[in-house]
Amino acid sequence: MNSEENMDKKIETVLNSLDSSNRAAPMPFLQTRINARLNKEVASAWEKIAGFVSRPSVAIAGLCFVLLVNVLVIGLSKSANTNAITDQATVTQTDEFSISVATIYDFENNQ
Amino acid sequence: MNQPELIVQLQQGDASAFTRLVAQWQELVFNTAIGIVQNVEDADDITQEVFIQVYQSVSSFKGESKFSTWLYRITVNRALDHERKMKRKKRFAIVQRFIGDKIDEELHPVEFNHPGVQLEQKENAAMLFKALKNVPDNQRIAFTLHKLEKQSYQEIAEIMNTSLMAVESLMARAKRNLQIELKKYYRP
Repeated sequence: MNSEENMDKKIETVLNSLDSSNRAAPMPFLQTRINARLNKEVASAWEKIAGFVSRPSVAIAGLCFVLLVNVLVIGLSKSANTNAITDQATVTQTDEFSISVATIYDFENNQ
Repeated sequence: MNQPELIVQLQQGDASAFTRLVAQWQELVFNTAIGIVQNVEDADDITQEVFIQVYQSVSSFKGESKFSTWLYRITVNRALDHERKMKRKKRFAIVQRFIGDKIDEELHPVEFNHPGVQLEQKENAAMLFKALKNVPDNQRIAFTLHKLEKQSYQEIAEIMNTSLMAVESLMARAKRNLQIELKKYYRP
């Protein structure tokens, strides 16, 4: 019984052993180490972007995208040119075969 | 300078405000971290990570709670993350041992001596820290904040985002579990 009480006392002392403790201080030059890590993190953010872009899958996908855009632009510009030519041709034909223009070669009105 | 003014300056991008903030709060962060991870180098790493996080996310601090409460929360979360990482490493080390590789010394730390503990209490404190390793996380956090950081139950409740009753219950269970653990040392 006595030893049990003694043990309880010891345990209580252990449990209260931190009551009189002071705060632990970090190692010196903490600010310098934090600043160095902050600068490194900024640099590593750019490194991460560069690393991501230079991945083969991303690079190939990017290249395919650029090629696709080029093909689309060329295709669109071609069809736009064709429309312009068609418009021009239609105008020319309309001018040539215009029924409203009376000329001596106006066969249709020659009745 | 009072806290909110310093925070406002930091939110406005004042670099000197960050220097002052680190100087003012470094012991709080380090002491909390060392109480949880029980390693000086790891606690120093965590302290750096906490201040980097504060620098990067100070704009999200709305002042709804005290700045110290916010800082404690970040520190506790970082320290627990670090512990989880170490546990994963330990599991991997067990596999390595089966393979026959050398095991990293840092994964088997020696007895921890808190630098702020009085000389006559060093032995008892080392025993307490050893016993604390076998107590569930939330009980250990509450106990460490109360004993090492001298936080009241109400402040611990705010830090742990829980009720005062819950903290009282956590502390009671922590003490009971620690008593069981410590009895093992006295009565092997």
